[in-house]
Amino acid sequence: MSSEPLLRVENLKTQFFTETGTVRAVDGISFEVREGEIVGLVGESGAGKSVASMSLLRLVENPGEIVAGEITYKGETIFGLEEGPDGELQERDDMLSNEEIRTRIRGNEIAVIFQDPMESLNPVFTVGGQLREFIELNRGLSKDEAKTEAIDMLREVGIPDPEERYEEYPHQFSGGMRQRVLIAMALACEPSLIIADEPTTALDVTVEGQILDLVDDLQDKYGTSFIWVTHDMGVVAEICDRVNVMYLGEIVEQAPVDELFYDTKHPYTNALLNSIPRPDRTVTELEAIEGVMPEAINPPSGCRFHPRCPDAREVCKRVHPEAKTVADADGEAHRAACVKHDAFDAGYEDSSMLEGAVGSTEREPESELAVNPAGDDSGGEGRE
Amino acid sequence: MKLLKYTIYRLLQAIPVLIGISVITFLLANLGPGDPVSLMLQGQEHSEELVRAIEQRYGLDRPLHERYITYMSGLLEGDLGQSIYYQRPVSALILDRLGPTLLLVLSAYAFALVTAIPLGVVAANRRNEPTDHASRVAALFGVSTPSFWIGIVLILIFAVKLGWLPSSGLYYPWRPPSSYPGINGHLELYYETARHLLLPMIALGTLQMATIMRVERTQMIESLQGEYVKLARAYGVPERTILRKHAFQVAQLPIITIVGANLSTAIGGAVLTETVFNINGMGQLFIEAIQQNDYQLVMGITMMLGFLFVVGVIITDISYAYVDPRVTYGERD
Repeated sequence: MSSEPLLRVENLKTQFFTETGTVRAVDGISFEVREGEIVGLVGESGAGKSVASMSLLRLVENPGEIVAGEITYKGETIFGLEEGPDGELQERDDMLSNEEIRTRIRGNEIAVIFQDPMESLNPVFTVGGQLREFIELNRGLSKDEAKTEAIDMLREVGIPDPEERYEEYPHQFSGGMRQRVLIAMALACEPSLIIADEPTTALDVTVEGQILDLVDDLQDKYGTSFIWVTHDMGVVAEICDRVNVMYLGEIVEQAPVDELFYDTKHPYTNALLNSIPRPDRTVTELEAIEGVMPEAINPPSGCRFHPRCPDAREVCKRVHPEAKTVADADGEAHRAACVKHDAFDAGYEDSSMLEGAVGSTEREPESELAVNPAGDDSGGEGRE
Repeated sequence: MKLLKYTIYRLLQAIPVLIGISVITFLLANLGPGDPVSLMLQGQEHSEELVRAIEQRYGLDRPLHERYITYMSGLLEGDLGQSIYYQRPVSALILDRLGPTLLLVLSAYAFALVTAIPLGVVAANRRNEPTDHASRVAALFGVSTPSFWIGIVLILIFAVKLGWLPSSGLYYPWRPPSSYPGINGHLELYYETARHLLLPMIALGTLQMATIMRVERTQMIESLQGEYVKLARAYGVPERTILRKHAFQVAQLPIITIVGANLSTAIGGAVLTETVFNINGMGQLFIEAIQQNDYQLVMGITMMLGFLFVVGVIITDISYAYVDPRVTYGERD
């Protein structure tokens, strides 16, 4: 295990300053990515996954802004603040300038694959032209060299007749083929890290499978690290090495993939896992997570998950848990942010159950599970 | 070759449209109020025989459908009939006056495009900043002000008050310089043409400019928020290139449509602008024809304008097919 990770994110906070208030989309997350591994960033829609990943490239759109934390990539500071002489926080001297981020980081060091392959390619340029432009820009190749490279890359990601398809427009490609083009773009720039922001969400299941296999093969071949942003635990199980589970701007559990699945430490992760349809269970047994995720503009007190948590007790409304190491997984820390673990010592055992807590489902006899959870899906809300 | 097929297909589609235009104009001109014969006689004393003779001469005694067929067969040979007022062939009259109108309309469009597109791009790029607000107010002004009023104000300022530019008339650049007294050589002629054209061009082009600018701004804003722009940014493409290439090219497609669809308002505006600036174009001819109840001339000009409009729309469609790779050339399967 190398000493310095490829990417280290510490206490990153990204906020959106809207007319109705400050949205704390990413609220103090820390994680790292090592060379050659695929790190998952998992959570429901609105958990802050995409904002977190775009923060890594300093591409947060207005009115959003990174307000705190530190992002270090290969020893260079992508984002970092320090206290200035006037006591105000200011950008550190060693933080890369906008121009340096653009020319040295974006594309050639950290590349992205976006969620929607239908919209991500420019409709009026040929697929090859777009690919070639990015290669020229990020690898400093001449036009002809970049074209050769682009065609090779199209072949590499499994696009048949790459010479002909190079001249075609995005609308002549299917969704799966376009996603292959986006993967080719990312790989062709030879980055050390690729952020894949829900790259298979817009695709149907068979194509998703092909794309995952492709990424797996290419990752073996090129040794590129990935941050894989998804809400799909099935995809996580298939390709990730380590996983960060996000809920409402925070990382609530962090563990290697096996530990996460077989020794789940956070009730939210558990709920996510229970909500995956499985062939050995009937549909009525599927446990949807109660309620919807609250708005990040006004998060619940204490633990942010407590209004929807089956294990919530009175203490959870008061104490806001920071993630702590709760178990050891072969030298890897297994971190979770839940006061029910001994590491927190918040008096969970002595705390009273929350009135009408959803929690009982876990301890109820099997027959109760057959009740369609959607039947009382208002349960999660209005419990504050 | 698909494109060539599409072009031919589109031209063939124009035929029924042109026939439709001819039927409607013919009916309007012949069934509308006002009797050409009594107008020709101008209230003079006249006998029944004289009326009969005139009706026979112009074919007015025959039934409507026969007259239409005669008119159309003449049209196919380029004969638009005889002007009653001018006593000259309608086609010759139109050919005389077409040049100045086309020059005016085309230069107005050139002015509109050259100013509106950069303004729209800048406004979109500086969205909700003072530059944007200023250009939006200007555009609102341009859209809501009639071209003849702009023309009059321009004349008042630049011709009457400042005396920089002429207020009326036009020098035709296609005529030999010697036909104008005091003009030596082509360069001088072109210079005079430009001087005379400037104010009417602005008067007529302002509405187009404002319309195009508003669309350009909206399209650029939308385009700049596109996923492909996000992708380009994530791959380190400079902001300048994104604005000028990635976002820009996508945003131009609707502009082509606007230009084509606004051709009718531009031609309508040209009629008024020609009157204000005293330019001897189709507009003035049209107004004279209506005032004199010269139904042959009215019909001829309406057909001509209809034809110009149809051609404009076809050019729009075809250029759209050239510019936007997603247009499928009307082939269905």
